[in-house]
Amino acid sequence: MSAEPSSPTGRTTIGRYLPIGYASLMLGVFFLIPFGIMVVTSFYHRVGSTYEPGFEFTHYLRFFSPLFTTHLWVSIKFSVVAAAAAVTIAFPFTYFLSRYPRKVQVTALVFVLCVLSLSEVIVAYSWSVLLSRPAGISNLLVWLGLMDKPQSWSRGYWSVLMGLTYFNVPIAVLILYPQCTRLDREITEAARTMGASPVRAFFTVVVPMLRSSIMSTSILLFVFTMGAFVTPIWLGRPEDWMYAVLIGDQVLRRGNAPFAAALAMFFLAVTLVLVLVTVRLGRQREAENP
Amino acid sequence: MIRLARDVFFGLVIIILSAPLIIVTGVSFNQRKFMMFPPRGFSFRWYAEIFEKSAWFEALMTSLTVAASAGVIALSIAWPTSYFLWRYRITYAKALYAVGLLPFALPPVITALGMLIFWSTVGWVGRIENIVIGHGVFLVTLPMVMISLGLESIDREVIEAARTMGADDRRTFLTVILPLIAPYMVAGFAFVFVLSMNEFIISYFLGQFATVTLPVKIFSQLRSGYSPVIASAAVMFILLAVTVFGLIARFGDLPKLLGAWKPSDR
Repeated sequence: MSAEPSSPTGRTTIGRYLPIGYASLMLGVFFLIPFGIMVVTSFYHRVGSTYEPGFEFTHYLRFFSPLFTTHLWVSIKFSVVAAAAAVTIAFPFTYFLSRYPRKVQVTALVFVLCVLSLSEVIVAYSWSVLLSRPAGISNLLVWLGLMDKPQSWSRGYWSVLMGLTYFNVPIAVLILYPQCTRLDREITEAARTMGASPVRAFFTVVVPMLRSSIMSTSILLFVFTMGAFVTPIWLGRPEDWMYAVLIGDQVLRRGNAPFAAALAMFFLAVTLVLVLVTVRLGRQREAENP
Repeated sequence: MIRLARDVFFGLVIIILSAPLIIVTGVSFNQRKFMMFPPRGFSFRWYAEIFEKSAWFEALMTSLTVAASAGVIALSIAWPTSYFLWRYRITYAKALYAVGLLPFALPPVITALGMLIFWSTVGWVGRIENIVIGHGVFLVTLPMVMISLGLESIDREVIEAARTMGADDRRTFLTVILPLIAPYMVAGFAFVFVLSMNEFIISYFLGQFATVTLPVKIFSQLRSGYSPVIASAAVMFILLAVTVFGLIARFGDLPKLLGAWKPSDR
């Protein structure tokens, strides 16, 4: 259906475009304009704990300082490992999920959605309890006779990694789920009849078919993890603080909005490049399975 | 054998995903102010405190207000955007739809910082309405995608039939399209509500310690010292999610909402 001549009354023409005008206004004023202001602010001049209009590259030049490079490197390391770990767990899980009867699927999806919707604050807190000495998992190991004394594992590299992976698994499940349901059952059955074991069929048929989905999911998880804020603060030590923590620290504690904006611009550029890569992978996927 | 291995793996992932939640639930029932699991004694006092202690109760009410209003705002933006794309297929509608997808693709910390700088420039900081608008815009993607899914699934012949029978645009919209889309709008609202309740970083940046939502309250409480109320608040979040998503699954087609389809549907 295409746009057709409006009704006899002129009122409806305006009435028709009013809602879309409102939606444009909201997204424009409260989403696009803030981005524009942020871009401009990243070139501003900092005075004390505030800033004034100007045009300088001071904040971008700080990208060569160790403050920036260490935080960036820590974030990249965490994000790569957490994304890879989450996809490794989530992909077989989602594939199995999509083969279960509908009732099991719905129940599991409700559960995954619940975990997904939980605030990063709550996930990080729950992991700190799980890894703590008085209430944590080490008590279970002591009870099983595997350890002598309960121990606290709640701060450090591994607890941050576990928290981040936990955060990523439900996201990965929900991104992979549509693709897994689209996978024709007959294809794996064909592989089976030709003598492939189920494990072999999974690795030689299912994984290659969904390769581009797995790749784009990993990239999206990488981006999500780079933005982790509460997990590194609450489960890690200052040396585990990631990129988003640095942005928050600069703007909220040090009042250095221009530098925070410059940091965000870099992050935005990286994200946009990666998102474009996933869009291309999606096109490729559609070309492969039309 | 293989089937068993599959079920064991599946069950194990479910157990690992639920482990932290189970322990937090246990901790929330402790009788005294210790973080113990299994809990020592049993009491609901940490739940009662959310409603009795004014700081916690205020944060709860702020979160509920923000979530409900953000849901309305997100729907009010999502609805025209998806409708125009579906109805007129014009480039402008496509572009607007793409803008609506952006908040979901970008790391929330960038969006939060942009909004913070925006409100500081305007000179209107720490207000609850900033968070409401922030969440409404940030979470617009979900209802927008869901309403589009709903519109795409409407049989065009039904609309043709309504027109043949003499219904004008307005009438077709009110009597045919709206009732068919209503479930998707309800689901979209519910998703925004739950995610807004849980959202931390935008509330933290925009609240500026003047407006405190529940996740922000938990975060600052974590920094200032342990309180079992954190555990009971966390359990309330879990219950909220279970209730809302359980209801959506009970009355709606959850796999379809999440984008599942069978090869035979093509």
